[in-house]
Amino acid sequence: MGAHHHPPHHHPHAHGFLLRLPVGFKLAAALGLILTVVLMPRGQWPALLVVMALLLALIFASRISWWFLLKRMLLLEPLVLGVAGLMLLQPDGLARCALAMAKANLCLLVTLLLSQTTPATGMLRVLQWLRVPWLFITTLTLMHRYLFVLADEAERMRRARASRTFTPQHRFQWQALATVVGQLFVRASERAERIYDAMCARGWK
Amino acid sequence: MNAIEITNLKYRYADGTEALRSISFRVLPGECVALLGPNGSGKSTLLLHLNGLLPEKINGDGAVKIYGETLAAGNLESIRRQVGLVFQDPDDQLFCPTVAEDVAFGPQQLGLTENEIAARVKKALAQVGLSGFENRATHHLSHGEKRRACLAGVLACEPKVLVLDEPTSDLDPRGRREFKTMLRTLPATKLIATHDLEMAVELCARSIILDHGEIVADGRTLDLLGDEKLMLAHGLEMPHILHHLHPH
Repeated sequence: MGAHHHPPHHHPHAHGFLLRLPVGFKLAAALGLILTVVLMPRGQWPALLVVMALLLALIFASRISWWFLLKRMLLLEPLVLGVAGLMLLQPDGLARCALAMAKANLCLLVTLLLSQTTPATGMLRVLQWLRVPWLFITTLTLMHRYLFVLADEAERMRRARASRTFTPQHRFQWQALATVVGQLFVRASERAERIYDAMCARGWK
Repeated sequence: MNAIEITNLKYRYADGTEALRSISFRVLPGECVALLGPNGSGKSTLLLHLNGLLPEKINGDGAVKIYGETLAAGNLESIRRQVGLVFQDPDDQLFCPTVAEDVAFGPQQLGLTENEIAARVKKALAQVGLSGFENRATHHLSHGEKRRACLAGVLACEPKVLVLDEPTSDLDPRGRREFKTMLRTLPATKLIATHDLEMAVELCARSIILDHGEIVADGRTLDLLGDEKLMLAHGLEMPHILHHLHPH
């Protein structure tokens, strides 16, 4: 089972030309685009619209599923709302809030587009080439690798729990969920120790 | 000189559980020894000691010697170069994004050049029958392929002693057969902790039985596994293959 069940983001959904572009170029372009959006002065709505149109065209060209993007955006929207909501407290709050939301969502779209058209291994290689500290890269690499193992483990635990869940009462379900989350944490940290041992066994210093 | 020499080894876990009580045995170079025993008998704990992963602090009078070198805090690196440990759960061991990177991890730690590393990776993958898997993602492999990739990662370090923790558990019959055939071709000294008693009969001339952290028997595999009383007393059973070898 382990080889087949994975979270949907395990490799890019796109098949279009963005996937074939060099990773370094994409990373630089994404960073540039984000900076442009963030630094755009107030009142430049037409420019933001241009960026938006560009992104939509890129999404169309790379054939990412719109539905998938929408779901991802919605998942991250609470963060955007949280930050933009604070703007409401300032004078001229509504306009500031709208601008912050537009900017944050555009940046979000850029990162989603980048992550969906770039394999994680390629991204890590570029970071290495950019001389990002090795500890940071190692952490990212391990995270990318074990996210799948953890997701599999969580799914196995969920199924096992579901097979023994006879009462549809929500209270019990929440209780069970809390146990599973705790258990997952314990298992993850124990696994981390075993991984470290396995690395040491092959000479890690 | 002995490949492995363990004398009076004891270990107690932090919670007080006594995992190993005074273990002593020797393994000659080139020997293939099965380490048998029920769950929780201390097999995995013993294997971790061979690589200096346990105890956290070396104390007491117990000693682990690999090719005459006594394991101590100062020579872990040298011991780990000589002893290759294949872990029970392949997901613990395969931590790199691709197969080639993972197999290259050990040789990189040894400080070899790019060319030497590439050659080692190629050779190790060929040894386990995974040539052509270099760029495959480790988390997309089947369980059997993961096991082979783990073994390749250890073989690439060219250890003199190969220590395997339940190498055939969770494998389908074909995977088990292939893995056994592969192990047989490897010249290193082997210590294999396993519940796969048929593998013990096929691969290992000698077996050591561990129970409650103690060695309860050490001898010819056929003699030990053929002793039904001994087997049952320690949570094991006489493998079917022996019924065919010695029909009653």
